[in-house]
Amino acid sequence: MKIIILGGGKVGGTLAENLSSEKFDITLVDSDPVQLHQLRERLDIQTVEGHASHPDVLRRAGAEDADILVAVTSSDEVNMVACQVSFSMFRTPTKIARIRANAYSTRSGFFSREHMPIDVLIHPEQVVTEHIDRLLQHPGALQVLDFAQGRMQLVAVKVYPHGPLAGKAISALRQQLPKVDTRVAAIFRRDRPIMPQGNTVLEVDDEVFFLAARRDIGPVMSEMRGREKPYKRIMIAGGGNIGERLAGTLERRLHVKLIEFDPARCQVLSGSLDRTVVLNGDATDSELLLEENIENTDIFCALTNDDEANIMSSMLAKQLGARKVLTLINKPAYVDLVQGGQIDVAISPQQATISELLVHVRKADIARIHSLRRGAAEAIEAVAHGDSRSSKMVGRTLDEITLPMGTTVGGIVRGEEVLIAHDHLVVEPDDHLIMFVTDKRRIPEIERLFQVSVHFF
Amino acid sequence: MELESILDIACTRAGLEAASKKRALEQASELLAEHYCELDAGQLLEALVGRERLGSTAVGEGVALPHCRFAACTKPVAALLRLAEPVDFEASDRRPVDLIFVLVVPAEANDLHLQILATAATALNDASYRHALREADTDADLYAAAIRSPEVRRAAGHP
Repeated sequence: MKIIILGGGKVGGTLAENLSSEKFDITLVDSDPVQLHQLRERLDIQTVEGHASHPDVLRRAGAEDADILVAVTSSDEVNMVACQVSFSMFRTPTKIARIRANAYSTRSGFFSREHMPIDVLIHPEQVVTEHIDRLLQHPGALQVLDFAQGRMQLVAVKVYPHGPLAGKAISALRQQLPKVDTRVAAIFRRDRPIMPQGNTVLEVDDEVFFLAARRDIGPVMSEMRGREKPYKRIMIAGGGNIGERLAGTLERRLHVKLIEFDPARCQVLSGSLDRTVVLNGDATDSELLLEENIENTDIFCALTNDDEANIMSSMLAKQLGARKVLTLINKPAYVDLVQGGQIDVAISPQQATISELLVHVRKADIARIHSLRRGAAEAIEAVAHGDSRSSKMVGRTLDEITLPMGTTVGGIVRGEEVLIAHDHLVVEPDDHLIMFVTDKRRIPEIERLFQVSVHFF
Repeated sequence: MELESILDIACTRAGLEAASKKRALEQASELLAEHYCELDAGQLLEALVGRERLGSTAVGEGVALPHCRFAACTKPVAALLRLAEPVDFEASDRRPVDLIFVLVVPAEANDLHLQILATAATALNDASYRHALREADTDADLYAAAIRSPEVRRAAGHP
């Protein structure tokens, strides 16, 4: 499969790195020869220097033969024109573009073959905002992931010393919640995944991932974590794209304060936001934080585009009494470094963007791949097509299907119905299966399992 | 199956230059759209690629049978390509593909469509039939070799 990546920045570079380790034919286009040289040194990819949306540059990059175009240059407009050129001149089947500005997404139907032919829009700010919003709806959760348009959710919680989970076997949880169908999908103990069995006893500091229908997540959470008070007061540091979006999403539900350094930007924010209190100042200034009652803040979110500033302001806020702190971090190495210490939740926008992109290169109908614990395991949603003749899944019970090592099926979403996996469950056509894989090198085997045979129309 | 009823000589190409699976499917879509005006080449390519994504239609021995349902299509139609150089088609035997039989059928499910596909697959599973197709130099030769079913060829004394 041939993939052209436009833009060798953080996202383009990381994507190329992720893909070049598998058997993909990658060409990366950028206008900066130094950047390209560095990427070529490090990765087994081809590079083309030039303006990413020019037809001759795309042709040199092999657009005539490319299956997928991923436009992730820093310019929305270059990304859009590149997709239009590939569509009109090369009929590129799959065109993916990162579009940052909200202004382009106001009219539905704009991104279609009749107008602006982009098949998949990647909107990192929106992905991160939704991610934080889900976390805030479940106080105490480390990660909340959606499957099948949010019909099923996966939630990660930590086992605390005197909490309701410590020292309990998984089978005991089921007895405590007789009316709710849930499944412990994975457990991380000292950063290693272990396969949960009924008799597995939970230990302090384990991270437990459980799967349930969205409506059941609340009761399960309160059973697992004890009643954690909902978040009411939130303080956001950084009024950029993400800060503004998040404040706008939350201001009807919560008390939101937003700290922004640039006075001119503050003016804009006061205009665009309704109920949010916009403050001009520096989020690493302890006096300002104290003045704004940081000790009564339920959650402090550091969302500037500067990793170091985010980490410092989060640590300060925590020390001054914020109940929880959440930090946006771009450098993957930092994420592992800080989470679990004073910083409760670290979020990587890049990781979120990359996992959205990776779904589209898979060779079966894979709807979602989420990295758990920064890639120590993967949660996958895949759609089973065909019938018992053309599919290896459809028409069989779950215990008849041989899954790759380290893979478990956690649940099935069938239309509106959410089913927790049991051995006797029969896979039907168009079922969405939610699976866990502890070794991502097994993903190609899962793809093969979901591929239909030649007889499928 | 009467191959003549769905395959036209205008949609048959011997020695076609295509450097990739995408180019091969694109040229097949263009051939079909030129000959059957109700088909749109761009949308047809998207439909074929969409079907390939669910699982490759390569069946091994250098043969692939890309196919799709297509709303604008009124009756089953086919294209047959023999590529000058084989291309990667993600086949399970990893062998690159040079014989491509493309089948496009109307949107409504129909047993006949499955039958046509199965018949084409069976024919192409025959080594002597594949050999005859690979030996054909011109479009006309390829067409003539294709519409002779194995039974006909055996009756005519071919190997």
